[in-house]
Amino acid sequence: MLYVKNLEKSYYTEKIQYPVLKDISFQVAKGEFVAVMGPSGSGKSTLLNCISCYIPFDRGSITLGGQNIATLDEVQLAKIRNEKLGFVFQDFMLLDGLTIRENILIPRIIKEDVGKDAQKRADKLLSLFGIEHIKNKYPADVSGGERQRTAVARSLINNPLLLLADEPTGNLDSKSSLKVIESFEAARSQMDATILMVTHDSFSASFCDRVILLKDGTIYKQLENHGSQRLFHIQLLDTIKEMSEEL
Amino acid sequence: MKTIKDLERKLQKTDYKQARLYLFCNFIALMLISAYSTLMLSPTIQLVFPEGGDSRKQMIAIFVLTLFGCGVFTIYAASLFFRKKSKQLGVLMALGASRKRLAPGLFKEVLFLSSVASIAGILAGFPLVWILWSGFRLLIVDNSDMVLNLNLSCLFIPVLFALLVIIFSLALANRYLVRTDILEVIREEHKNEPVKAPGKWCGPVGFLLIFAGFLLGYYVPGLYMETFSAMPPAWVNLSYSPVFIGLYFVVLHTVVHGWIPHRKAPYKNIISRSMMKFQGKQTVNNLLVGTVLIAGACFASGYIFSIMGPQLTTNAPKPYAYLFPYRADQDMPDKEEVAEIAAEHNVSLKDWTEADYVSLAFDGEIQYIMPDEHLKTVYEELSTLETCMSESTFNRITGQKADVLSGTFMTISDAEEVATYHLRTYGSLITNPVTKESISTEFAGFLHYDLLFKKNGYMVLDDSDYEKISRELTKEYRGKLSLFNVNGEDNYDFAYDLFHTLVSKTDDSCYMPFYVDIYTKANHEKAGISYDDFTSEINHFQKSDPDSTTFRTEWAYMPVFQILNSHDFLMTYSVYIMMFLFIFIICLIAACIILHTRCQTIALNNRYLFEDLKRLGASPEFLTREVKKQCTNVFLMPSVVGITAMGFVFFMILFINDNRISHSEVTSILLSIVSFAVLGIFLYGVYRITVREIKRQLSL
Repeated sequence: MLYVKNLEKSYYTEKIQYPVLKDISFQVAKGEFVAVMGPSGSGKSTLLNCISCYIPFDRGSITLGGQNIATLDEVQLAKIRNEKLGFVFQDFMLLDGLTIRENILIPRIIKEDVGKDAQKRADKLLSLFGIEHIKNKYPADVSGGERQRTAVARSLINNPLLLLADEPTGNLDSKSSLKVIESFEAARSQMDATILMVTHDSFSASFCDRVILLKDGTIYKQLENHGSQRLFHIQLLDTIKEMSEEL
Repeated sequence: MKTIKDLERKLQKTDYKQARLYLFCNFIALMLISAYSTLMLSPTIQLVFPEGGDSRKQMIAIFVLTLFGCGVFTIYAASLFFRKKSKQLGVLMALGASRKRLAPGLFKEVLFLSSVASIAGILAGFPLVWILWSGFRLLIVDNSDMVLNLNLSCLFIPVLFALLVIIFSLALANRYLVRTDILEVIREEHKNEPVKAPGKWCGPVGFLLIFAGFLLGYYVPGLYMETFSAMPPAWVNLSYSPVFIGLYFVVLHTVVHGWIPHRKAPYKNIISRSMMKFQGKQTVNNLLVGTVLIAGACFASGYIFSIMGPQLTTNAPKPYAYLFPYRADQDMPDKEEVAEIAAEHNVSLKDWTEADYVSLAFDGEIQYIMPDEHLKTVYEELSTLETCMSESTFNRITGQKADVLSGTFMTISDAEEVATYHLRTYGSLITNPVTKESISTEFAGFLHYDLLFKKNGYMVLDDSDYEKISRELTKEYRGKLSLFNVNGEDNYDFAYDLFHTLVSKTDDSCYMPFYVDIYTKANHEKAGISYDDFTSEINHFQKSDPDSTTFRTEWAYMPVFQILNSHDFLMTYSVYIMMFLFIFIICLIAACIILHTRCQTIALNNRYLFEDLKRLGASPEFLTREVKKQCTNVFLMPSVVGITAMGFVFFMILFINDNRISHSEVTSILLSIVSFAVLGIFLYGVYRITVREIKRQLSL
């Protein structure tokens, strides 16, 4: 599904190079729910932005559904973003001038495929994530949790190969966070979605199948969830503690 | 909503506020430019403002500053529009819309908005000119000069400006589209634009540069003329550039450091300063433009009062309320005829006296501007005809006891010797234009008599020299001065009637401006310069109405009737005064709109900061104080710097002319100070309105 190989990315400030990702390699299988964790500045968001083709990377390769995205031109990349990727931002990034339902339909509008099928799918997503009652409201009129669930629904409207989420619960309270995580789980169980989520929140990450821990631009450790969310959460907290003690 | 077009249409509808601001800014900029250009290039102004004259140069200079100001303002409007738009663009890109898909909609919207704003602005410029000019005519002054004639060529500059606005907007749209980092596009709206913080030296250095720039700008053109014997080309005006660099430093200091040190309470202004600093680039640009425009408005008002100042001082009673010169070959009204006209207006004459004068040729160096802009200086024995009288005539009229030595001449100036630079103070040979006999002479100083002070001056000769050199002069070179007073209160209608009688009785050969005589044409041709420009100027003069600015300020035989001058002062200088009043209004409107808009955007961009401060327990009074600090920073600095700089410039111009400040100049300075104070009060009013508006928007 997703193969990341020897990925490298640096930022430059006045001729000084700041390496952010150093030789990162991993893969995500179809239907998997994977979290990327790490302290601030470890390169989590940069990794996600490279995978989503929002920012260019320096070296390495990213293969999504058998396609190496580094070789694609701007139009092909846009098509990938539209049809094969779904993205959930920390600050929702809904368009204020459109209703909740219209926001969900944007990727379909871009794809020029707003037939009955699209309408049905939008309604299904509204219902799946419990936001049907606000479908005609505007983003400014709904809660943060509802906005984020709208964003999750929008990311799934084109049935993408991979859903990327950048700190999706970062701006939410614990109740809303849980609802968003539940919506990811629902997407995976009912729509067979593959999810890669960057988060600071170990509780949210404990719902994932696997957690990739990043430190200073490299993979520190990968942890697998063997079934119990509670035990996995404890394991995660221990590993994070161990990692921070090594700093 | 099924297509991307539907989506864009809906987003445009809901985001009408940002489009409205963009439309408004472009509309205002184009309207001001169109109005200014329309009036500046209209035949009404072009025919009155002398070609190459200072007034015309000043009018153009302020126009260039207005163009600069409006240019910065439209760039500001476009960047605000795109900053708001960028989130929309970024989200659509992030969701898979390619740049190619987004480009048509975005370009179409930008093209539509900028074209509509530009066309509407250009068209609105015409009614604005018409309304203001008609208002001036209706409420202040009206004469034949004030008839507004428009010329289509005035469209050239606003249309060019509009094209640049459109091209710039499209280029900016393209810049957002071609960015490779989509996240940067999404977050553009929240990006701060801090200015690089220079040291605290920048403020004082800025003031020094402003001072140096004004001095350089004033002296360099003269230095250039002396060094290269040529008219200074346009680029010499770059010598003023330190003024703008200095102004930039002063604004930078205001935004980054502020001017009041808070050593004991360094955190006192931390919130308002940070608000300014982090949108520093836009703030600096707007403050800079505001300062320049306020300075332009001050200059215009100062110009008006520099014309009015001398007029107010010359209104002081003179020994003779009426004086009219005429050539001896003209059939002009004598004492009886004047008395008859006076009687028709129930006025009687007293103190009637007459004096003779002659026109004699003086030698001298004449400086010509050649077609290649080089200066050519040629010595001519017969350079100009000058009006001369004998010392006994001068003493008889004035009651003075002047003694002009033989072989010398003295020139009549006013008591304070103001503006003696356009009087003749050189000459070594006086020639009788008929017999060609000459006598040697030299300048022996000034005599003082306000009534006989005129632009090309009266010379006084020793009686024997006068008698000798004026022998055999024909009537063409002889003239008379009639001087008198009236009993009781003076009467304007009589003065007006007499003036028109004199004009109607004068034949065509005397309809000449004071700067032209029988040698002008021959000397020009000898120097190899076409006389065509002069011919057209003289033709224009000869066709002008006796009540027009041109006729009253340039006629070689213009009488001096005190009541006529003071009563018709506004009419005589109507076009000059009204043009600069117009410039004053345009600059002031532009400055107020720019500063008001800037205050609003600072407040709105920091809306969340105000919300956060509220949550942190800030009282409405505290928040109001912060709003006021923002607005004060935006309004105060441009007002203080603009007004002070122009005050200094005026003082410098008046002082440098003759290294002193004369009585009439003191009046001009006092009037200018009053006008600057009024301007300050007006700006304070706009500041109050701005604060009230922002408080309403922030629900304070």
